This record gives sequence, structure tokens and C-alpha cells, in this order.
Amino acid sequence: MSKGAGTGEIAMAAREFALRSAEALAGVNSFEGGLVEQCRRGDAQAFARLVALHEGMVFNLAARLLGDPEEARDVAQEVFLQVYRTLGRFEGRSSLKTWIYRIVVNQSRNRRRWWRRRRKDRSFPLDALTPSDEARLAERAPGPEGPQERLERRERARAVQSALLRLSFEHRAVLLLREVEGLSCEEIAGALSLPAGTVKSRLSRAREALRRALADREEVR
Amino acid sequence: MITCRRVRRRLSAYMDGDLEARSAHLVAAHLDACPECGARWRSLRAAVEMLAEAPRLECRERISSRVRDRLDVEIRSAGLALVLRPTWKARPLILPSLVPAAAVLFVALGVAFTLDRDPEPLPTVATRGAESWGPTGASGTESNPVFVSSEVSAPRVRTAAPIGDLVTALGDEPIFLETVVARDGSVSTVTLLGGDSQQAGPLLEALRHERFEPGRRHGRPVAVSLYRLISRTDVHAPVT
Repeated sequence: MSKGAGTGEIAMAAREFALRSAEALAGVNSFEGGLVEQCRRGDAQAFARLVALHEGMVFNLAARLLGDPEEARDVAQEVFLQVYRTLGRFEGRSSLKTWIYRIVVNQSRNRRRWWRRRRKDRSFPLDALTPSDEARLAERAPGPEGPQERLERRERARAVQSALLRLSFEHRAVLLLREVEGLSCEEIAGALSLPAGTVKSRLSRAREALRRALADREEVR
Repeated sequence: MITCRRVRRRLSAYMDGDLEARSAHLVAAHLDACPECGARWRSLRAAVEMLAEAPRLECRERISSRVRDRLDVEIRSAGLALVLRPTWKARPLILPSLVPAAAVLFVALGVAFTLDRDPEPLPTVATRGAESWGPTGASGTESNPVFVSSEVSAPRVRTAAPIGDLVTALGDEPIFLETVVARDGSVSTVTLLGGDSQQAGPLLEALRHERFEPGRRHGRPVAVSLYRLISRTDVHAPVT
């Protein structure tokens, strides 16, 4: 009897959670839709909110893709200018975030090509993180950490970025969208205009490439 | 039984939970049983976790303020931009339509310039006075002299010019010239048509003072053009 009541409570709680999740998701979509509509009407405040909501994600993705904070900052700016100019064409078939991811990847790819065309004699300037960025990372460490932990964390961050930069741009993009931004393969397919099957096989190869690039690390051995 | 090769190809799908239950079970069993594939699996998972746990990079400067500044500039300049907006933005087809028009205009101008160009000057052996190319008058006048023919009698020299020494002074090259005898018997023009103009200069000047009985056509005096070849010719007595 008590067991049955317990199961019923769990089922009710699960249903309530599901309903709340659905409401939360609908709320997010509704908020996003409203924000987009306000931006389309030329509401500068709404656009400022849109930028503030996504700028962290845009910069992080561009910086990881390009490996250069300066370039990433310029790309992030261009991304939002493009969003502003083309928001009228956003049809809402994907989420706003996925649409912005697509713009970030395209802008970063173009920037990288531009760099290669003009500086053929130099490799892309990316060995990872500049000291200022590392300091920025250290400040944001979760919880208290000693000097040794801080050093290890910075060293791991550098190793990951260095390994990423040894992958092809397309492998890097698919890995970052999946592992860092948490997109599903279907969402990545939408953002990169690729079939889902291609995304999955590319992701498999990219993960293996990352494993090899980090193979000298103790954690990965 | 599943091979190591097949297992390794499926590790990514296994990680994402994309394998069917039976296939996932086979892979899991193999990873437990095979130390090498097990190590590969742990290595792959650790690498992916390292990436997933990497701290986010943050820009030291607010992107939003940069974007706002750029948009402010664009919006402020929009009024002026509308005034200065190039016509082709408002009418995007105007440029493509101008291309064939420009091509036609270019061809037309090219043809016009070609046709309008002065004809290539003919190679001249004569230094002819500019007045000779003036508007031509009636036939038999000084500006449009006639040639000696069955209807036109030849002018006869009335006062010959003393050109003996001048001819002697000529080189071996002969002088070819035109003398227009006016209707009053005077010499209207003397034009060098062939020969050295410097050597012929004094000779031409002397010939301008010749006087003629004018040529006549149907009994009326007309201006007549005479062509004369003057050369220094040594005449030897025939050997007998």
C-alpha cells in the first residue's frame, strides 16, 4: 500500500516536473520570440538584451575556433552586426541560439581564410591563450583553490586549446558545438547546414583526433 | 562476437547513447573484456571531458558596448546615407542595364572618330602652296586650270626666263614642275612636283617671271596647267 502510494507520488512528481519543464521551455521560446519581434521593430533596448544574453557564448566559441582573443572580439562584433541586419530573415525554424551559432562558425571560417590569404608566410597566431586571458580564467575558478591547483587548471586549459588548434577547423567546430555548447547532432546539423549523419561521423573522427592530440597527457593515457 | 575495429568505430556513438540496446551491450561487454579497447575508451572519454570542462573564455571588454557604438554610428549616419545613397542601391538593375548601353555608346563613338579622322596624307613629292587647295573656280580659271588638249591651245612663251645658268647649277636629279599660265599670260603659280626643292628654289623664282601668250579654248583665253621636266642633259655629238 505504502509502496503503491510512493510510486504514485513519484509518478505525479515526474509529471509535474515534465509539465514545468515544458512550461519553462515554452517560456524560453516565447521570451526569445518576443525579443526577436522587438528587435525587428527596431527596439534598441531589446537588441542590447539579445547581445548581452549571447555575447559570452559567441566570444567563447569564436575564441576557441580562432585561438586569438583579439580576432574573436572582432568576429563577435561582426556576428551581432550581422544578426542585427539579417534578423528580418530569421524564420524561427531553428532556435535563435542555433542561428547565431551558424553565424559565428561562418564568420570565424571567413576570418580564418582571410588571415591565411593575407599572411601566407605566417601560421595562424594561435597558440592558445594570452596571459591576460589566463588571468581571467584563474579569477573565475569555481571555489577556493591553492596556487598548485590554479597552476594545474591553467596548464590543462592551455593543453586543451593547443590540442584543439591542431585539429582541422571543421573538426574543431563540431567538437565545440557538441562538447562545449552542448548541442545535439541534429542542432549541429542545422547550424552547419550538414546532414545529421555527416555530423555524427565527423564528430567521431574529431573526438579521436582530440584524443590523439592529448595523448601525452596523463589524464588521457 | 565483435571485433576491436568495429568497437573502436562505434565508441563515439556509444558515448552519445546512439547505439541500439543490443549493439551497446556488445560494445560494453567487449570494453570490459579487451584491455586495449578499454584503455582506448577511457582515453577518449577523458579527452572529451577535458574539453567539456575547459573554462569558458571571456572577453575583457563588453562586446555589447562595441556593437552598440557601431550601430549608433550606422543609425546616426542613416539620414545622410539615405541622401547620399547611391542610385544603384535604390535601383539595383540600373547598373546591369547601363553596361550594354555603355558598350553601344563606345562602339558608336569609335566609329564616329574613325570616320571623322583626316585621311592619311598621300605621300607628296610636291610642296604645293596652300592656296592651291582652296575652293576651285570655274574651269579655265587660275584656281581650276585646264590641260592642253585638242580644244585647248598651248600657251606660248613670250618672254623666256633666263634659266640657263640655273639649270646648269642643278644636280643630276631632274626637276618636275607645274606652271599655271593665267588668262592674262602671266604665271599664276609654279609648283615643284619632284626634285630637290632647295636646288630648284632659284629656278622656280625665275620661272614665275615668264610671260606667255595664253592658251585659248574656243578662242577665249583660259588658264592652262603646264607640266615641265627640266634636267641638265649633256649632249654629245654622235660618233661618226
